[in-house]
Amino acid sequence: MKNLIYIITALLLLNLNSLQAQVKKGNLLIKNATVLTITNGIQEDTDILVENGLIKQIGKGITAPSNTPVVEASGKYVMPGIIDAHSHVALSVVNEASSPITAEVYMGDVVNPFDIGLYRALAGGVTVSNAMHGSANAIGGRNVTLKHRYGTLNPEELIMTEAPRTIKFALGENPTRVHGRGKGIQPRSRMGVEAIIRNGFNEAIQYKKKWEAYEKAAGQKNSTAIPPKYNLRLKTLGDILDGKLIIHCHSYRADEINMLINVCKDFGIKNIVFTHVNEGFKVAPELAAHTMGASVFADWWAYKFEVYYSTSFNAAILTKNGVITSINSDDAELIRHLYHEAGKTQRYGGLTDEEALALITINPAKQLGIADKVGSIEPGKQADLVIFENHPLSVYAIPQMTFVDGIKYFDINEDEHDQRLKVSATEMVEPIYLMEHDHRCMHGVEMFSETGQFFGTH
Amino acid sequence: MKNIKIYLFLFLILPIMSYGQIEGEVIKPRGGKFLLQNATVVTVTNGTIKNTTVLINKGKIEALGENLADAEATVIDCSGLFIYPGMIDAGNRLGLVEVNSVAETQDFSEVGEVSPNMQALTAVNPNSVAIPVTRVSGVTTSLAMPSGGIFPGTAALINLNGYTPDQMYAGFKGVVMNFPSSARRGSYDRRSDEDIKKEAEKAIKNINEIWQKAITYHRLDSAKAALEYYPEMAQMAKVISGELPLLIEVNAASDIQAAIKWLEDKKVRAILTGVSEGWRVADEIAVADLPVITGPVLALPNRQSDRYDAAYTNPGKMLKAGVKVAIRTDDAENVRNLPFNAGFASAYGMGKEEALRAVTIVPAEILGVDGHLGSIEQGKSATLFISDGDPFETKTQIMHVFIDGYQIPMTNRHVRLYQEFLERSPGLEK
Amino acid sequence: MSLLNRKTLLLLLMVAASNVFILAAVAQSDPTGGKRVTGTYAIKNATVFTGNGSATKVDIIIENGLIGGVGKNLKTPIDAQEIKGDSMFIYPGFIDVSGSAGVKTPPTPEKPADLDPSNPPPHIAGITPYVDVLESFDPADEELGMWRKTGITMVNLIPNGEGMLPGNTAVVLIGEADSYNTLASSTGMFAKFEAIRGLYPGTTLGVMAKWRELYQNAELANKHQSLFASNKGLIRPEKDRVLEAFYPIINQSAPVIFKVKDELELRRALNLQREKGFRMVVTGVNEGVTLIPLIKETKTQVILSANLPEDTASKKELKGASEEITANLDRVKAAYKSHLELAAAFEKEGVPFAFSSQDLKSENFLNNIRLMVENGLSEEAALAALTINAAKILGQDHITGTIEKGKLANLVITTDSLFKSGAEVKQVFVDGYLFTYETNGNKKVGKEKTTDIAGSWNYNTETPQGSSSGEMIIKKGSEGFSGTITFDNPAGGGKKTADMLAIKQSGSTFEFQFTVDVQGTSLSVTVSGDFSVDDYKGKMTITDFGSFPFTATKSPDSTTNN
Repeated sequence: MKNLIYIITALLLLNLNSLQAQVKKGNLLIKNATVLTITNGIQEDTDILVENGLIKQIGKGITAPSNTPVVEASGKYVMPGIIDAHSHVALSVVNEASSPITAEVYMGDVVNPFDIGLYRALAGGVTVSNAMHGSANAIGGRNVTLKHRYGTLNPEELIMTEAPRTIKFALGENPTRVHGRGKGIQPRSRMGVEAIIRNGFNEAIQYKKKWEAYEKAAGQKNSTAIPPKYNLRLKTLGDILDGKLIIHCHSYRADEINMLINVCKDFGIKNIVFTHVNEGFKVAPELAAHTMGASVFADWWAYKFEVYYSTSFNAAILTKNGVITSINSDDAELIRHLYHEAGKTQRYGGLTDEEALALITINPAKQLGIADKVGSIEPGKQADLVIFENHPLSVYAIPQMTFVDGIKYFDINEDEHDQRLKVSATEMVEPIYLMEHDHRCMHGVEMFSETGQFFGTH
Repeated sequence: MKNIKIYLFLFLILPIMSYGQIEGEVIKPRGGKFLLQNATVVTVTNGTIKNTTVLINKGKIEALGENLADAEATVIDCSGLFIYPGMIDAGNRLGLVEVNSVAETQDFSEVGEVSPNMQALTAVNPNSVAIPVTRVSGVTTSLAMPSGGIFPGTAALINLNGYTPDQMYAGFKGVVMNFPSSARRGSYDRRSDEDIKKEAEKAIKNINEIWQKAITYHRLDSAKAALEYYPEMAQMAKVISGELPLLIEVNAASDIQAAIKWLEDKKVRAILTGVSEGWRVADEIAVADLPVITGPVLALPNRQSDRYDAAYTNPGKMLKAGVKVAIRTDDAENVRNLPFNAGFASAYGMGKEEALRAVTIVPAEILGVDGHLGSIEQGKSATLFISDGDPFETKTQIMHVFIDGYQIPMTNRHVRLYQEFLERSPGLEK
Repeated sequence: MSLLNRKTLLLLLMVAASNVFILAAVAQSDPTGGKRVTGTYAIKNATVFTGNGSATKVDIIIENGLIGGVGKNLKTPIDAQEIKGDSMFIYPGFIDVSGSAGVKTPPTPEKPADLDPSNPPPHIAGITPYVDVLESFDPADEELGMWRKTGITMVNLIPNGEGMLPGNTAVVLIGEADSYNTLASSTGMFAKFEAIRGLYPGTTLGVMAKWRELYQNAELANKHQSLFASNKGLIRPEKDRVLEAFYPIINQSAPVIFKVKDELELRRALNLQREKGFRMVVTGVNEGVTLIPLIKETKTQVILSANLPEDTASKKELKGASEEITANLDRVKAAYKSHLELAAAFEKEGVPFAFSSQDLKSENFLNNIRLMVENGLSEEAALAALTINAAKILGQDHITGTIEKGKLANLVITTDSLFKSGAEVKQVFVDGYLFTYETNGNKKVGKEKTTDIAGSWNYNTETPQGSSSGEMIIKKGSEGFSGTITFDNPAGGGKKTADMLAIKQSGSTFEFQFTVDVQGTSLSVTVSGDFSVDDYKGKMTITDFGSFPFTATKSPDSTTNN
């Protein structure tokens, strides 16, 4: 009888647990690969043992418990799952562009697990992405770090819950076009962008003081203290000031990068990463001294005026000046070959294999605050792994399998062509899109300027 | 010690520095005689030959063989290095736009649906910042394409050296046609399938009317009739007469089939461009014997249900079916990524040799300029580059580029910014 | 003689003074001849599905708007009109738990001149939870009659405004227009994931954040008010009708009725519920079987949409099609099937549900439910959804939802068992008032009526640049529809006219396109929306720029049919 009660209780508990997002974790043994650990050099003819989603052991001749799936990888390369520090894949909405500060919105509310972009990213070896708010606002919303566990219908299972909070800022042409030139509200110039950000932080300080005073008073006996109004926007800004969020700031020009570095110094903010930052090379010493790094394109330039004076040697210059540098995609097409983008730093600046691979693994992990969990192949880290045919930095590299938490989510030989999770009940002829790229940084924004011209996205 | 470091870097990137030019001085393209000694020459048409020297004179490849010598020539020691023909990107907007979001700099699209008389060549900006950025990658030749409307204009092939468009002109012009598309322009395009079909049918009818007019114009003009000034028809007549080929931009599978059918009864030299769903109808394209310029290879699949590598495998699949395939980037400021597009096509089915041909001799043949471009052969234009390895690999450095016999300065804005900012002076502290 | 006159005069004065006619004893002349003779009915020997157990052949007595008795061989009251029920099938009157028939769209509020789009006043931003749907309700609207014809006797009205919180709901009977029909008002706060373009909040992101902020501030304001009520010397609280509208939600006396259009929105609504803990009803549910455990955990009540997608796939014949196309088609067919099987899935998991009439033409309502029954939904569950489940969700199960003595006389009388195809609604009792309909014998139910959109319409559309208006003329010819539309010339100077292209019409949906030339570029504009009688509401989409609301009303005397 007692046993029965235990069993029933256990089942009930299991049922309750099943309501929470269940993250699948797997066991795995990869054999005889050339392992690119990133932090511990290259290890040839080496095995990797994964248990319950974590890397348990790296070495030669490992034997796994029975029932562990074995992957024979001799002649192949294994590297950590690629991390994209700037992406908009798997988001139903990208921009809440109606206000220049929208720190209160959260991308985790709009995660879309049906986006085929997730699978396509997996086919390019990307296992983690920073799903960001767009660049329409000076201070945008909170981003969400995603693990590409494609196949689930539950958006919560895609969220990397152990990742620290990050938030999107944007400087330059995009916010000034959307708000100033598009709607006639601040900011319209780079002067205004700084003012908006400083205003936001100063208002947040006042808000914090009010609430601290209230909480102190309310803690006393028989308190009749009246609570102030709740403002999620100012509260989030206050959290930034308290160091609880990492800022990822979309920026291009050297002067605006400097501006934000100075603003952060004034407010004591240390957790700041600059993204795109095409002119970052012009302020590399400052970035090295005062920030958590820069996340850049390999070679995109000249699509807007603020990137006219950029160089594809950006990543190399930043790396050689001691800036934690990563390469990102900000695009559903580019995310599929970040390993190739990283390879471009060898042509433009002569980075070594080790330096180049760090740009898409341990460095973006550092920028997202998850470097203790992913970004390299070390025992104890999460088993996000990619098996390549040919070295990943070669243009002839072809990802073979991609694993997240030790579960295989991409297999070039076994996967069906049609990877859609959901199909419309009435769409008889599939639409054909002529989109070579899918830049979504300015998705969903009215793109009128005063003269009514339509500007290209991005 | 620091200064020597800077000069060493400069020596690596600018071998011409050995001529004792002062840092900061402008380096210009140089003509003359050049002896490229002891290289592995990838001729493309005649195999790969080792320990070979190439003699460049009067803009041409005057000779190639072992143990060539010429006292007047500037010698470049190419031991351990490779010589390739300059790569040809057969479809892009290089030189026709400077900053894509600034409308004033866009010169590839004119008002009006029927404007075949618009000459892309005249709008090319020879001093576009992107041109030096492009040519140091080994892409030496590019097809400037107008866009927008049904007949957006006449495309022109340019070499990436010269101070006027005429100096750059590389010997090919073609009238561009945008075949009516059944594809959606973007995710916001919510027309029903029947409506898209109806609009496409209407557009074909429109094109046929214009075609008939052009035929009439050509007939009357050939009969020396006195016709009213009609520049659009005059240009179309050149297509009817066969003087100029037709570059048909078409992508969706059903559209490609419709285009092939449309061409059946017409005696024109036609080249299909875009062709992103060509793999679905590759056999039909092969039977119709139409050459294809496709790309970019680094692109998203057209359909959500497509295999993720549909665009990567497209050129290889068409080639396998017997189609003549050239690769383009369809880009503006990053035409330099042509070799990487070819690299991906190679990895995903095309093979290295064919991928190299797809960016050299094949586009040259399709555009009818293989008499002077597309391979390393005696008598052809000295449009080539010297690299330390496979140009498709990102690790490879392109050491020298020659266009029409001119040695191109291996510098551009990106390189100069690198030189200035690698070690900034003052650094962090002033 | 004069006494009689005075008495009559007094009576007439009494009658004139009060607008509400309660007692049938107040005799009144009716020159239209429409008034009923008696309010008492005796239905003899009909097949009755009372909602408690299986059907039986019984009598039903109706008097004073209530069910006077249910049973075998009941004594017919003297003043009763007898109805032979031998060939009749009788069900409890159906209940629509979220419908907007008869609810007009409130006018778009005028934007103030100094409007800051990043911080608009709540009534401009679509945040008006205090608005009562009854203010926009017209009980004489013809559409109500069309829904009554399907057997629906009671509706929980949904406000029709724009934005995330258009107002609160009310329960009405679709009864005699002259009678009083409101059962309950402020029965719930209606919410949806819709934002007003160009204003904050502008997308689902902003809506979610705004929800959290409003709820939290409502809780704080509530606290402030209770502190203020029981203490002296405190700052007086601000009177905020938006926050006050949340109080019944916070103290659990009313639910939030959340409209969702897909399973991702359903998930977002459930997430808000889990964060804040309010009572919630979700409506418009058309997918999301995997969310059932969460629905159960949060005790959320479910209203399924009765709207099913068009069946395009199963009729499609592909001769010699490639494997890829056949595989694709199979997927579409499976997706279609899963929509039909949704209700059955909910039944299987033990989740009671009701139906909503929103986004649906009344002719398709019963037919769609029959389709669901064909695909696994039991007849009992379908009937319960239409009756007792709905009554429970609305808290009206003490007076309706089943046929029992003392409950409201709401009945549906059909020619055959409801779920048999071909069965038609012959009569409907609402509040004891009888409505009779013509039946077509064996004609298949559900054929779409010829639509009457042809005519001349005046439209209005709102873009961030301001509003603009014009006229659209729609003609119906032998080959289909054609038409023209006028619009403000972007180059200035009056109006331009364009032909309507690519016209698509299906049921109440009407869609067309036209081109506008702006500075040499041709922009394609698509207008699509739904019309009913003489109202058209939809969206205008300009390629590359986005969608804007588009409403139109028919010009009087303009219906043309050629």
